Amino acid sequence: MTLTEKDVRDIAEYARIGLTDEELSTMTVDLNNIIETLRPITEYELEGVEPTFHPIGSLSNVMREDEVGESFEREVALSNSDSTSEGCFEIPSILGEGGDR
Amino acid sequence: MNEYSQLGVRQIHEGLRAGNFSARELAASAFDAIDRLDSQVHAFLELTPELAYEQADAVDAAIAAGEPLGILAGVPIAFKDNMNLEGTHTTCASRMLETYVSPFTATCVAKALDAGSICLGKTNMDEFAFGSSTETSFFGKTHNPWDLDRVPGGSSGGSAAAVAAGMATLSLGSDTGGSIRQPGSFTGTVALKPSYGVVSRYGVVAFGSSLDQVGPFARSVEDAAFALNAISGRDPLDCTSQPRDIDYTANLDAGINGMRIGVVPSLLELDGLTNEVKHAFEQSVAKLEGLGAEIVEVELPNAAAAISAYYVLGPCEAFSNLSRFDSVRYGHHAHGKNLEQRYEDSRAQGFGPEAKRRIMLGAWLLASGVYDEYYIPAQKVRTLITADYTKAFEKVDAIVLPTSPRTAFKFGEVSDPASMYLSDIYTISINIAGNGGMNLPVALGEDSGLPIGLQIVGPQFKDENILRVGAALETLIDIPRVAPLEKGGRS
Repeated sequence: MTLTEKDVRDIAEYARIGLTDEELSTMTVDLNNIIETLRPITEYELEGVEPTFHPIGSLSNVMREDEVGESFEREVALSNSDSTSEGCFEIPSILGEGGDR
Repeated sequence: MNEYSQLGVRQIHEGLRAGNFSARELAASAFDAIDRLDSQVHAFLELTPELAYEQADAVDAAIAAGEPLGILAGVPIAFKDNMNLEGTHTTCASRMLETYVSPFTATCVAKALDAGSICLGKTNMDEFAFGSSTETSFFGKTHNPWDLDRVPGGSSGGSAAAVAAGMATLSLGSDTGGSIRQPGSFTGTVALKPSYGVVSRYGVVAFGSSLDQVGPFARSVEDAAFALNAISGRDPLDCTSQPRDIDYTANLDAGINGMRIGVVPSLLELDGLTNEVKHAFEQSVAKLEGLGAEIVEVELPNAAAAISAYYVLGPCEAFSNLSRFDSVRYGHHAHGKNLEQRYEDSRAQGFGPEAKRRIMLGAWLLASGVYDEYYIPAQKVRTLITADYTKAFEKVDAIVLPTSPRTAFKFGEVSDPASMYLSDIYTISINIAGNGGMNLPVALGEDSGLPIGLQIVGPQFKDENILRVGAALETLIDIPRVAPLEKGGRS
């Protein structure tokens, strides 16, 4: 399978990573090289083999009482954000072009 | 200035108890070593002298008060910069987290510090642990203390170099496909990735959540075992952490007479395995036999499939984990005309090229149609690899392999991403199966003069077997434990 620059542009959009045209071209080459090295995985005889999603097979749900525990103070939770307002995270407009304040 | 930072854990413990030096002097000696050496090595991204001296004074006060002294009390330690420690930067060596200050502490860090160790600082790494050379750090590369023109391996290259250069006695790293063991091999340090679940991952910035595991770097097997004793155990904050109460130092002196140790002949025929590494491996096996072990040939027929399975599973899990970096709650923040543009610009500016490659690859692999062709087969291969190990460990108590097919390479020597991935060929299958593995430095290469490591692999949750084999073999190894950086060594 070979990715075109159009495919890579679509993936970048899905992964929310902006790419310049030059980066797009390099990324397309790199991804195709890597995908080529992954080809063996598509060629193994795996009929009847069940997938293993996790190295610890015997995990089970751990239940506890729903109690109020310790958590961050509001100002600590906000301390690593560059855009806060009135004790909340602030984001630009979701629709349109409202931009950052 | 005394070279206290070159001492081992037991020597520190006995010296403190005897009053030969104080914990404050130990901390001062470590920072002095860092002052002298780290301008050449660049193992550290942040130093924490205030915290270190506060911890050292607490240890000295406890000694003065006649309180019992834990084995790690006063031991200088460093943490990979993907481990949260409240009040320090935790950058993952990425522009994305350049200004992030941890509001909390990872369990492994808290446990190490609760045991009395003294925090020197945070160490360099490949950005978000994506790499095998520490060259992808946004804050500059780390140099191998054995040869400053060469990489220390990665992704935990800073943690490895700090211990190898004699700046820290212990350090912690994380290992998703070899990121503790391979830098251990390149820098001549004992480097242990425990079985998945032995150490809590809470507070360690996630890369591949079904593969990541934290473990120690040390200059002896005993020191690694002391560190593992401190950091292992059940943590209510990580549901995969296991309730196991094991003293990993208990059988270090037991010897290996009668133990069955597996070798895998087919894995010694791989392209890229250098003659000097192969030769050092064969000499190590002969030594193990000389110590009374029974050498048994085993097969891991699907081990060669591990690389392609890993480079499917790792990016898929990374894509998912790194989606949290949305510039809203923390992380690099670009201004955008709307939210979507801000996401794209923030992530474009915040992530480096390798991080972008892995995120993009993961995004593609998980897309409808592609998922069934790559992701599901990779998880099926995981079933086969796990079954191979289970079957092999019915016949043996441990397996030995080379850690890396070659010794440390020069900066820029391996530039193609696909070739870089091959440097983890001997380590990756162990993460996929969830077993533990440890690098033990066994020789200096007859061609390169650089450290060569032996990898000792144990059955899942039998990491004590690994340490036992390592401790026995270590008694026959005679190479410097601290890199000869200041003694007219290579530079």
